[in-house]
Amino acid sequence: MHKNSKFIAGLAFTALLTAIPFTQAQAGLRICFGFQDLETEFWVAGHLAITQTLREQGVEVLEYNANEDPNRQLEQVRECIAQGVDGIIIIPQDGDSAVTIVKEAQANDIPIAVFNRPPNDRSSGIVVVADNVSATEQAVEFMAQQALVKWQVTGKTIQPLILVGALQDTNAIGRRDGFFNVINRYNEAYPGMFAEPIEVATEWDAATALANLEAAITANPDVDFIFTSSDFLFPTIRSVLEPRGKWVPRGNPNHVFMGGLDGDATACMLIEQGFVDATGVQDLFLEAELTLNALLEAIQAGQTRPNEVLLDPGFALTAANIQFNRNDMWGCVLYDQGFLDK
Amino acid sequence: MKSSRVLQKTWNVLLNHSTLVLFVVVFIIFGLSSPRFFTLENITNFVKQAAFTGIIAVGMTFVLLTAGIDLSVGSNMYLSSVISGLLMRSIGLDVLPALLVALVVGTLFGAVNAFSVVYLRITPFMATLATLVIGRGIGTALTESRQIDLPERMATFGQAHLLGIPMPIIAFLIVVSTAYFVLTRLPIGRQIYAVGNDRDAAEKAGINSKRVIFSVYLISGFCAALAGFILASQVIRVDRSFAEGREFDAIAAAVLGGVSLFGGVGNVIGALVGAVLIQMVQTGLQFNQVNLYLQPMVRALIILMTVFFDSLREAQAEKLRRRFIRPLDGDKTEVHKAPVVPSQANT
Repeated sequence: MHKNSKFIAGLAFTALLTAIPFTQAQAGLRICFGFQDLETEFWVAGHLAITQTLREQGVEVLEYNANEDPNRQLEQVRECIAQGVDGIIIIPQDGDSAVTIVKEAQANDIPIAVFNRPPNDRSSGIVVVADNVSATEQAVEFMAQQALVKWQVTGKTIQPLILVGALQDTNAIGRRDGFFNVINRYNEAYPGMFAEPIEVATEWDAATALANLEAAITANPDVDFIFTSSDFLFPTIRSVLEPRGKWVPRGNPNHVFMGGLDGDATACMLIEQGFVDATGVQDLFLEAELTLNALLEAIQAGQTRPNEVLLDPGFALTAANIQFNRNDMWGCVLYDQGFLDK
Repeated sequence: MKSSRVLQKTWNVLLNHSTLVLFVVVFIIFGLSSPRFFTLENITNFVKQAAFTGIIAVGMTFVLLTAGIDLSVGSNMYLSSVISGLLMRSIGLDVLPALLVALVVGTLFGAVNAFSVVYLRITPFMATLATLVIGRGIGTALTESRQIDLPERMATFGQAHLLGIPMPIIAFLIVVSTAYFVLTRLPIGRQIYAVGNDRDAAEKAGINSKRVIFSVYLISGFCAALAGFILASQVIRVDRSFAEGREFDAIAAAVLGGVSLFGGVGNVIGALVGAVLIQMVQTGLQFNQVNLYLQPMVRALIILMTVFFDSLREAQAEKLRRRFIRPLDGDKTEVHKAPVVPSQANT
């Protein structure tokens, strides 16, 4: 096994074994776990958190990687159903395919839980989802508080910019909504504080984000407030800001108020170094705990079609609270153990 | 009479250079709506952003000219960048050796495609579709789905300038001018067009078509690896979605520039114009803050317009060809090729 995977697995073990209060050992159960490709450290950590914890409890886990193909995932779930598994957990490719897969499982009386990426129809299945709006609002609120001080001192309107994710992704839409909620709220309370926000399409692709952000900054060199819908784009933002002398830490007059969402290791490091002000954190450990507990309880109770939505409200890790809350953020735990150096 | 002839001539010229005309029109429209669009900084930016698409489009042009296709360029970009990135992280490889590693990996990747197409006789579409999946699979396995954060020296390389020109643009210009030279001045260039036009006839004329086809996939692999390395130096991170779907951008750029999917027609200057046009449209939409939901539609509309003008040009060329039909001895007829419309010429 790769060194980093061992490390993440270790992390998952430590965090989850202490965090998840299983009612009893689950030996003899078979759970099917279908996921899409594990593109970021968040998904890798989430995947390991679920699989390792289930196995530790004596549950047999059947893993299926759909490689970003929703049809393949549906076929894999059908295969699981044919094998007579006790329950199913999926990380779907998108909200539409999740609806179909949940229906398929429930039609065959197998309890199913959807992890982190919610179906468009949340009325069926156990849906564990981060409240993207809330987590974003908490992060942007902190950034806005800092910007308010600057605005009150200089009187100069703040120019906000948001890097928007893929528009077919409900997570991306929630983050965009959260960002606008805060900007609008501040503009109502402090008229003229924020200019009309600039929206930059990223399609969750670093190259697209780079091209569009560079264009946006060239067109509007006064941008001084950037929110990225995912922390993975911080290196891209740096590529654009650094040559323009705007990649500087807090305290420097050229500092751009910056925030993101995910709570990964890079974000943790950048908050500590002063380049980033806040990030909204999806509580990975809580989400894994909610998923496993709800599914195993349903299996124990003999419920074949459990339907409930379990929300992870998330939280913001900021420059002000990082010294107290860093251990709650999965990315900081990774960072502290040298994840970025490996 | 005379004025109608002038009009017809003007129309022909416009039609034969429709991509270039559209390029200028789009540039002016975006510039008028946002004066900063005309600044040197912005022009440099969008040419820089077009560089990596342009480089793979040049490689793709070689392949398309032989009536082939390379769907694996995105995976090639990913795999070559993953391997060089891993070596930079693990053994501290410097930037230039890492670039060499990427180019070797990319060219070998191209060799696998070439071998499959030439010796295993698998159709280019299927062969490169398979390597698309395999390449990304190998990269994912090597990284275990994790992103590779590239070292600081890679960022420095990505931001480098020579005489005020950003490194990606310099690389792009070198690739375009070399490719132009190869296609127009070297025998292999003429052989590529000949094989793409009519492989059987080319073989009868003594051209080793296997060697020609093998070489275009090597070139495409080399270009993909170079483009991948340049892109990696810009985003300073290689993750699972790195360069995903870029093959379609490359094909679109080449076709917009007048390269035929059926082989034998097109040139690298067209691919250059096509790549920059696509990026310029995207930049213009961002400059004008066009609604994010509308942006893909506007982009598609402009591509559609270009292709529409291209089909008008084709129709006109066909009309010209018909004028050259003449009866031969007996019942046979022969269709002589009309003088090729200038922009289609192999220049």
